[in-house]
Amino acid sequence: MASEPSETGQVSDSETGTGQVPDGGHTDTGGATAPTDRESRALAPDEAAIYVDGLSKTFGKGKEAVTAVEDVSFSVAPGEVVGLLGPNGAGKTTTIKSILGLVLPDEGEARVHGIDVHEHPRKAYEYVDAMLEGARNDYWRLTVRENLRYFAAIRGQNPDAVADRHDELLEQFDLAEQADTAVRDLSRGMKQKVSLASVLAGDVSVAFLDEPTLGLDVESSLKLRKELTRLAAERGITLVISSHDMEVIEDVCDRVVIMNEGRVIVDDTVEELLAGFETQGYRITARGVDDAVLADLRERFDLAAVDRTSDRTRFEVAADTATFYRLTDAMEAHDLDLASVETVQPDLAEAFVEMTGGDSGDSRGGDGDAATQMADDAEATAEGSRVSGPPASDGGERQ
Amino acid sequence: MTTAEGEGGGADAPSSSSFREPVRTGGYYHLLKAVVYRDLLIWVRYPVNAALGLFMGVFFFALMFYGGTLVAGQAFSDSIEGLIVGYFLWTLSLGAYSGIMNDIQSEASWGTLERHFMTPFGFGPVVFAKSIAIVFRTFLTSAAVLALMLVITGTSLELNLVTVLPVATLTIIAALGLGLVMGGLGVLYKRISNVANILQFAFIGLISAPVFDLPWARFLPLAQGSAMLQRAMRDGVRLWEFEPTAIAVLVGTAVLYLGIGYAIFGLTTRRARRLGVLGDY
Repeated sequence: MASEPSETGQVSDSETGTGQVPDGGHTDTGGATAPTDRESRALAPDEAAIYVDGLSKTFGKGKEAVTAVEDVSFSVAPGEVVGLLGPNGAGKTTTIKSILGLVLPDEGEARVHGIDVHEHPRKAYEYVDAMLEGARNDYWRLTVRENLRYFAAIRGQNPDAVADRHDELLEQFDLAEQADTAVRDLSRGMKQKVSLASVLAGDVSVAFLDEPTLGLDVESSLKLRKELTRLAAERGITLVISSHDMEVIEDVCDRVVIMNEGRVIVDDTVEELLAGFETQGYRITARGVDDAVLADLRERFDLAAVDRTSDRTRFEVAADTATFYRLTDAMEAHDLDLASVETVQPDLAEAFVEMTGGDSGDSRGGDGDAATQMADDAEATAEGSRVSGPPASDGGERQ
Repeated sequence: MTTAEGEGGGADAPSSSSFREPVRTGGYYHLLKAVVYRDLLIWVRYPVNAALGLFMGVFFFALMFYGGTLVAGQAFSDSIEGLIVGYFLWTLSLGAYSGIMNDIQSEASWGTLERHFMTPFGFGPVVFAKSIAIVFRTFLTSAAVLALMLVITGTSLELNLVTVLPVATLTIIAALGLGLVMGGLGVLYKRISNVANILQFAFIGLISAPVFDLPWARFLPLAQGSAMLQRAMRDGVRLWEFEPTAIAVLVGTAVLYLGIGYAIFGLTTRRARRLGVLGDY
């Protein structure tokens, strides 16, 4: 499982546009190149909980044709939790629906536990269910328990025989007190949890969750993340989570598949993905930096995000250890008063922006105008984290 | 139902062993029970809609009855039994037709349609279970309307359930078929209410079709059943007293129109999957 979210700040190139450039190997934003390690990560069709090979889907014909998904391939091991990321219009939903047989792909195959979903849908559906519409995934006029019983029954369960498991689910999702309340009378967060519980009520080994934390407040989101993590760990359920919430993905997922313009552009573990972006960087605040000194530092070092107030100047710099020492020597030579030094590390939001170019707006389908929303969200998150990042400490990575 | 049942019976068993195999504890009985129960619950949980449906059913009949008596007097009263049976069958047919059509479209708008597609039973059996649920509920509501009609008119009818139930059920199965066609078209094109509403009035013509004067008319949906139901409820004809050909036509048209409806529903949902609009609304 992924580690706890990083508490460190973010790197930004917002001011000068010359900020730190990740040195990882996953910066192809054009979407034309398959991930370099996909083959090594691929599982055999019958080993994988989910196996997708060469999935393609084009909507419309002629000039109106929109290629939603193009040659998408990836696999997910049993019990693995995978995040599916991409800007609006990247093809995530079409991919998920194609895997589930809700959209008929033009080419390619999708298997769940080795069973071809399009050849043998009923057999495949014994193992997989999905929460595709968030809170719009169950009956609002029915009570929570009635929903669980109904969706269990249409998935081949005797609701009475699995009542104890439903009680466990209700407890697990803090819904026990609302068990006999109509879903329509619950909060948005509660509705989301009912949707998720109703997916699990039928006993599945693979679940697709589309935006499971959408609309949740921070506390509810954190709780749900914990439950998702626990589900995967304790029940061994394979989860594919599509979300705009980078913290959810970073927190819950083992691996991330990033899509852009209908293609998989990254398929990597969260840790490796972030490691690929870990350039040593520092955020330095100093006093006594006049224009001449700043010009000299700019000339000799790769400064970014320069912010000057009355007596302080803050900037970020991409630097390895040797460069950092040269910088401190230069600052000492200019007789600058060093106020603080922080290390800065990227998080998934920033990695995502880098991967997708952050400006992946295109005219694909009806999502073209909104194609950058997710990247924008990610940028906003990154920017927000940067501004409100924790203060420098005396120890560890910060001074 | 077990994990080996269904369409996937020919599929290879999952070979990845490092996951917990889901355990199935239920079967078709639990599916049907759950679908019927859910249908009744949803009906009850929209109480105004349910009450208005019943009220309007009785109100329109009362309007026809008192209006007809005022205008035509005794002549109208003499044909009241036929009117009651025809109206009863119309409410039944309309309930079945609009019930399945509205149910499919509501599921799409609620975001639950796709979940019914992703079941180990398959979409077909689930839709079939829904159809049974709707027929069951429609019988309950139409029976209530019928009882009130009889009270209002002071009329009595032959209600031999062994005859009336199977004849009425087979009759409205054809309406279900038409409802499946409209439901499928609704999944594909989303807004088809204009066509769907017009068809409701066509039911009146089908129910009153002169099958004795125009023998070919008996092959239309509802027509043969309507004629048989009139004889059963007005004249007390029992099921086994009908000509075998009449029963054969009744069964044949029921199977034919349900089959056509289901086939078109299958085609439209497949087309909707190809277009990626199955769950849209």
